[in-house]
Amino acid sequence: MSVTLTELEQQTAAHAQPITKGSGRWKLIVTNYDLYLLLVPGLLFLLLFKYAPMYGIIIAFQDFNIFDGFMGSKWVGLDQFEKLIHSEEFYQVFINTLLISVYKIVLLFPIPIVIALFLNEVRKALFKKTIQTIIFLPHFLSWVIISGLFINILSPSGGLVNNAIQWFGGTPISFFLDNQFFRSVVVFTAGWKESGWNAIIFIAAIAGIEQEQYEAASIDGAGRIRQMFHITLPGIMPTIILILILRMGYLLEAGTEQILTMYNSVVYQSGDVIGTFVYRQGLGQQDYSFSTAVGLFNSLVGFILIIAGNELSKKLIKRSIW
Amino acid sequence: MHKKTLGDWTFDIGIYLVLLLCGLATLLPLANILSKAISEESAVISGKVGIFPVGFQLDTMKYVVSSNQFLHSIGISLLITVVGTLLAILLTAISAYPLSKRHLPGISIIMVMFIFTMMFNGGIIPNYLLMKKLHLINNLWSLMLPALISVFNMLVIKSYYESLPEALEESAKMDGARNFTILFRIILPLSVPVIATIALFYAVYFWNDYFHPMLYINDAGLKPLQLYLRDIVMDADSSSAVNKSADDLMNVSAEGIRAATVIASIIPMLLVYPYLQKHFVKGVLIGSVKG
Repeated sequence: MSVTLTELEQQTAAHAQPITKGSGRWKLIVTNYDLYLLLVPGLLFLLLFKYAPMYGIIIAFQDFNIFDGFMGSKWVGLDQFEKLIHSEEFYQVFINTLLISVYKIVLLFPIPIVIALFLNEVRKALFKKTIQTIIFLPHFLSWVIISGLFINILSPSGGLVNNAIQWFGGTPISFFLDNQFFRSVVVFTAGWKESGWNAIIFIAAIAGIEQEQYEAASIDGAGRIRQMFHITLPGIMPTIILILILRMGYLLEAGTEQILTMYNSVVYQSGDVIGTFVYRQGLGQQDYSFSTAVGLFNSLVGFILIIAGNELSKKLIKRSIW
Repeated sequence: MHKKTLGDWTFDIGIYLVLLLCGLATLLPLANILSKAISEESAVISGKVGIFPVGFQLDTMKYVVSSNQFLHSIGISLLITVVGTLLAILLTAISAYPLSKRHLPGISIIMVMFIFTMMFNGGIIPNYLLMKKLHLINNLWSLMLPALISVFNMLVIKSYYESLPEALEESAKMDGARNFTILFRIILPLSVPVIATIALFYAVYFWNDYFHPMLYINDAGLKPLQLYLRDIVMDADSSSAVNKSADDLMNVSAEGIRAATVIASIIPMLLVYPYLQKHFVKGVLIGSVKG
């Protein structure tokens, strides 16, 4: 979802809203009927592929049976949620989700900022461009390919990393089959894929800082290090806070699609997150109602976090996502 | 002028070193797998291949790219990517236009309907059941239709429209142009940079998606590239495809095949990447700075 951060940034640009009085409303609607027509395909899309699945959530309150359908299945109220609360497996999954997500925020969030700050100091255009081209690239590779790359490089038999470990006298580690290391693999590969690309929003924010500030500081005798800490960093601070708050909104999204390409039953204990759990229980075990309940719990918490984050950002930096 | 002090020099060298290391860390896994794909099989099997190839052969690559299943999957992925991207960009660009007219009655409510779907969704199971109900399981439309509008992408295009000078539309209206004409003749041609960037994002999404094919496609004849790749990468040595091919060819190992398949799957992306890169950097920067 890194792309989305860049895009959200734009939404912060507030636009003045012309006020229309009641009398002109019908005239506006009639003269612009063709604008409303343009919305028809988009609205149909929304209803069918976004809102219809929301209706499907009712099966979380049922003992859903595919043959009886939405209407025929038995209603069980909050039984599925009770099962969820008492499920030890869910508790483990919830902890895994939080751990992986928090590790990703704490360890990976600062990297793009540092990359952007450093790239900004590079005066050699060719070097700058080359590095950018290289570090943006992994963002465009699929998780399957990235799993392939790291399964290869971390392989206990002939993988680069284990060859190095053995060379130093250690014993090879099966990173993908070891509960002690699996989360680190998840966090590291996520960093490898997105760190460079995530810098783009900060690069853009730096480009928006007024040049006069640097000139003034330079005249006052500030060196480049001081300029970086006293002009560039404060200049992008609102962006940093905004992106961080947004990131918090996705706290329970620990990387479902990533982990699905990497894990296996051996590391469920450390690597199973809410998203992968829903997938396994729902489509693997056909336990539709229970996994929909888990999914609903996930969506609700996510929803609350995003709303709270938006309010927080309004208060803190007077910018909001919508 | 500020003179370069010793501190500045260390600062510079430090920065260049850190960035260089970032670049190398990015390239290392790619160099390693490329080397495995084109090294002598005996070196691959004995784990001697590091960053550089040991010996040289293209048999494995040739074998992989001439495999029917591989070519078939590439074809499916191309189809989904081209058709999906075209439809998605058309629908997104069209929907964004009325939404940029905030003074129109009802628009803000419709806007809320769009934005709400960014924050709340039905989840995996209700989506799966919907596809089943629509008879789209094992149908390539299931991979395209639900992704035709990304609300995030639409908001980017919308705010780009809003940044265009209003006088353009007003003068066109004076000349008697209708909204349709204004959108297709004036607004869209002016929005090419942002449209191209968003089209790239859609294309990357369709090309790289393995999650939805995994949910909705189990017919082997409809497997897109990422799903085919997943079978080879994830199934380790048990993959029948890999084992069979290893028997067929003397100079080919399962590991070599895996490496070559990954490389062959990256190649299409690498071919278009340098061309696209200059667009998205420009597009993203245009979008973000102006606010």
